[in-house]
Amino acid sequence: MKGAGVRIPGPGSRCAPTPGMTATPEGRSGAERHETRATYRAFSQKEAKELEVQLPGAQQAEAFVRAFLKRSMPRMSQQACEDQLQRKAVVLEYFTRRKRKEKRKRSKGLSARQRRELHLFDITAEQQRYSLFLPLHELWKQYIRDLCGGLKPDTQPQMIQAKLLKADLHGALISVTKSKCPSYVGVTGILLQETKHLFKIITKEDRLKVIPKLNCVFTVEIDGFISYIYGSKFQLRSSERSAKKFKAKGTVDL
Amino acid sequence: MATLRRLREVPRHLLVCEKSNFGHDKSRHRHLVETHYHNYRVSFLIPECGILSKELKNLVMETGPYYFVKNLPLHELITQEFINTFVKKGSCYALTHNTNIDEDNTVALLPNGKLILSLDKDTYEETGLQGRPSQYSGRKVMKFIVSIDLMDLSFNPNSKKCERVSWSFKEKKPLKFDFLLAWHHTGAEESTMMSYFSNYRIQELQPKIALSTVTELQCPVLRSGALRGEPEAACSAPELLDWLGAVFSRADLTNEPHSFVSTYCCPQPSTVVARAYLCTITGFILPEKICLLLEQLCHYFDEPKLAPWVTLSVQGFADSPVSWRENEHGFRKGGEHLYNFVIFNNQDYWLQMAVGANDDCPP
Repeated sequence: MKGAGVRIPGPGSRCAPTPGMTATPEGRSGAERHETRATYRAFSQKEAKELEVQLPGAQQAEAFVRAFLKRSMPRMSQQACEDQLQRKAVVLEYFTRRKRKEKRKRSKGLSARQRRELHLFDITAEQQRYSLFLPLHELWKQYIRDLCGGLKPDTQPQMIQAKLLKADLHGALISVTKSKCPSYVGVTGILLQETKHLFKIITKEDRLKVIPKLNCVFTVEIDGFISYIYGSKFQLRSSERSAKKFKAKGTVDL
Repeated sequence: MATLRRLREVPRHLLVCEKSNFGHDKSRHRHLVETHYHNYRVSFLIPECGILSKELKNLVMETGPYYFVKNLPLHELITQEFINTFVKKGSCYALTHNTNIDEDNTVALLPNGKLILSLDKDTYEETGLQGRPSQYSGRKVMKFIVSIDLMDLSFNPNSKKCERVSWSFKEKKPLKFDFLLAWHHTGAEESTMMSYFSNYRIQELQPKIALSTVTELQCPVLRSGALRGEPEAACSAPELLDWLGAVFSRADLTNEPHSFVSTYCCPQPSTVVARAYLCTITGFILPEKICLLLEQLCHYFDEPKLAPWVTLSVQGFADSPVSWRENEHGFRKGGEHLYNFVIFNNQDYWLQMAVGANDDCPP
């Protein structure tokens, strides 16, 4: 027979005696109970057992258990029943804060508005100097040279074209050759940022120019190889461009 | 269906007829002659005349030389030197030769210092100069007009505009054309054009002159007051223009039934004239010379003559980007823009101006 449940008020965190809580048993039953409870709390459980201070509720519970056992098993004597009792404390109502399963929260990332507010991708005025970005350009040239395996004069233009399509263009020297809007024609500079629809370029006069890709033809020059990029077909983020397959088309009219 | 209809329709043409008197204050004849810049052919007809008077003959012979330069790069026309030597002193006219106005790039220099470029789409997108689309474009714009004011450029030679134009002409998109040039100068400098463009192949050319006499010509009867003609008394102005065209193309005006070429006959009422003198000058002719010719023809009637009237017709280049002043000119199905004076013996005149389809109404 398992141990019958004994109600224990809460986890045993009230063992430590709190000083200054001795109460004298006086007054009516309610107050008495209240005060004996307070007394009980003042002592540790061991001390309470020695001094035989028991909560009235506990006495009633014991009496009930004895009576119940006697009723259920009339053949067994009281002594035998009590021997069987294991007196394990089983917690009946156990309220714990269920630890919420850590849901894998996908980082949603920032929306364009939040990104703009954070000014993460803005280039401040004191950083807008052409000379600052020349090393970047040299880096890019080196990167392209490595990509194409050394740019010799007899390298096939097709190969370079194919590599450039998937390459990253940040730091390239770009100029606008043809455009539907005449004022964009002739703008030359180092590419700083590439978004889905724009190129952000810094010109020699330290001006940051924002050029839409649509309806423009850009020229990229590397070591004597000049490539023309048709902006209308290039409307992709640079990260997506490396995965995209470009179809060959005859001529492109702006 | 729509294509068939479009192909069948006759392109519209406009004929503006007006009458006035040379002595009138507000007569616009000088202005209209001077603002019609690129003249290809001048012809006049004098009925009842056997030989030309001396003054007229001299004038005809001296309709000035014009110059032809091959492969002239465009940036030569915007140099300060050129502007100061030619554009500012006198009137300089230039037109590209052998370029079709509706297909190729055409350049014209007007005497008021404006350089008009009529460019096709690809060239316009590459030069990077501000321009406007042509008035006669359909759904898709194929032609753009760029207008550069040379007087403005010479005023501030270091302005951004000037630099951009020079950069575009020298580095971005260098364009080369064959030019027809003519210069009217009031000073005493002679043929400096030849020496200025000596680096390029420049030729001096004289206009071609064709003189002839026609006998027994049927001429319509005209009354100077009645532009629209009177039913039995005089012919109308459009009829006269038709008749003039037939005469100059040497068509038979007899309306013979077996004639294959033309069934045109002289408008009635008409008279028969014993002789008529025809003269045609072909070349790149200056409007100033045409003015002089017009004046001389007016003075023809200083002495009493048999002829009731004389005509002077001027035709413009079909490939010129402008017709009168800066009105845009297009080709469509025959890029004609011409005018015709009919000078009467009482100093009255009729002026007829005709334009083709892709043209604005004449001023």
